[in-house]
Amino acid sequence: MPAATQDPLRKVDDVAGFADVPRAEKERLVAEVFADPRFADYLYGCYECGICVAVCPSARFYDFSPRRIAQAAGRRDVDLLYQQMQEDIWECSQCFSCLRCPRGNNPGGVITIMREVAVNNGMSSAREALEGYSRIIYKIMSTGTQVSPDMLQPDAFPDWGPEVQDVSENLALWRRALPPETHHTTSTGWSVAERTLIELYLIWLETGALDMIRQVDEGLHMILEEVMEDRLEEEGIER
Amino acid sequence: MANQRVVVIGGGPAGLRAATTVAELGRPVVLVEQRGFLGGTPIAERYASMTPYLEDPEAALGAMASHLASLPDVEILLSSEVRSCSGDAPAFSLEVEVAGQSRSVEAGAIVLATGFQHFDPGRETQMYGYYEYPDVVALQDLESMLKDGNVVRPSNGEPPGRICFIQCVGSRDRQIGNEYCSKVCCGVASKEAIEVRQALPDSEVFIFYIDMRMYGYWESQIYWPAQEKHHVQYVKGIVSEVLPRDGRLLVRGEDTTMGRPMEIPMDLVVLSVGMEPSPGTRAMAKLLGVAQNKYGFVEAARPPLDTVGTNRPGIFAAGAALGPADLEDCASTGGLAGARAVASLATAAVTSG
Repeated sequence: MPAATQDPLRKVDDVAGFADVPRAEKERLVAEVFADPRFADYLYGCYECGICVAVCPSARFYDFSPRRIAQAAGRRDVDLLYQQMQEDIWECSQCFSCLRCPRGNNPGGVITIMREVAVNNGMSSAREALEGYSRIIYKIMSTGTQVSPDMLQPDAFPDWGPEVQDVSENLALWRRALPPETHHTTSTGWSVAERTLIELYLIWLETGALDMIRQVDEGLHMILEEVMEDRLEEEGIER
Repeated sequence: MANQRVVVIGGGPAGLRAATTVAELGRPVVLVEQRGFLGGTPIAERYASMTPYLEDPEAALGAMASHLASLPDVEILLSSEVRSCSGDAPAFSLEVEVAGQSRSVEAGAIVLATGFQHFDPGRETQMYGYYEYPDVVALQDLESMLKDGNVVRPSNGEPPGRICFIQCVGSRDRQIGNEYCSKVCCGVASKEAIEVRQALPDSEVFIFYIDMRMYGYWESQIYWPAQEKHHVQYVKGIVSEVLPRDGRLLVRGEDTTMGRPMEIPMDLVVLSVGMEPSPGTRAMAKLLGVAQNKYGFVEAARPPLDTVGTNRPGIFAAGAALGPADLEDCASTGGLAGARAVASLATAAVTSG
């Protein structure tokens, strides 16, 4: 199967938008999605039955449909896939409820690939979607962790349930009830051994995660590099 | 003692199976075939392969015909037609015209296996332009091209880059009067789609459908491989019209599950025509006084547990004469009709004894 048709399905209306983006650029990005080695196992064929939408939490709250992702990919619809990479895929919470598919498809996995392609290519949607997360990315990439229990704010996370108020008010007491020393506060949780930090950094580096950060947030990437440069030198690790 | 001979009318898959069953049960059988050869529509229309197991029809049906011919007390009358029938079970007298010569045949039971014909897409409407545009063909036309290993656009002899099948042409249509599903076209179209993709790996193949009806194992035998392995595009939505545009054919319809109109230029449009009773089925049913339904197919008198008995004792029907049927249906009802015909003779012998 050709990755992308040279002669697109002609619609009566230009429903997909992004008419200003060159066709060749759309085809290049979409071809990258199809070329991913996981793709063949993530999308077999779609009955268009809608069970993935029925089980999708995001579909309840957003104008989002994993079925449309599968359909666009099944149709090799370059224009629509490009539109989805700029818009729809960021509505997915990657919970993979859509694995319920009777054909064994994985629409959420297709979205994973589309997101990676969007990030790796510095698509504007990826930058926008990750914009608010600079601090979180920084903490995760520099300490390996982000949230600790003492950050619990009774009102900030209603989805953590009704017990959060009680737990946050008496956290110190709760912690004393648990014998082992844990990284349960920002001060202890973010204090990670030097060796661990270096290993984490090397993992981010080798897996390409740092390159992805560079695509979406160059400033953050510079900070991370600076933070790590000295440590790597001290350890005598050549890059 | 009743006449022990069974006359089978029609030498297609159902008739061959019926006659073989009678002969294997040790009764004399006369097979009357209008055409000059056995095998029926799969041979006459030059099918490339049989759905869904993809055997060569000439080889498979040819082997069946030679086996039948090798059995004792079998007479095969080609280029022959039943002209009249008198009497009742178990003593029918038939007048058969064999290559211009009239001949009497006595029989204790009759099997009617006169089959179907492909719906003529020029009938009633011309909206798909079957007789207007050379690159609009029907399922059996593509079978023939596949058999010759030469899938091309009839207009210019070039291999088509983009091909579509339009399902339910002449089926499930109150306007045309054929309200029934023809049962086989979804599977046959998908099988042909696979064969086209194999023959022309750079082609794009679409199937526009109302419902995909892939019964039982056809699901995983044909439908899934077509979609998953051969990337045939299934789009739920029926084409409203086919229009010539810049040397190609523009098909217009709705991509219903995507909720948008669509217009796609095609190089070859294949109409998935349904099944109608053959002229032979209509004529023989009338001649034998066998009840037909409103569509002209022979009506099974006591369905669902008796699928081959007609309103006339001693006359059984088989295959696509009974309504839309795939090859497995034809073989099943053929064998049953043959066995029931022999059983009716045995019963008659006992009761008349």
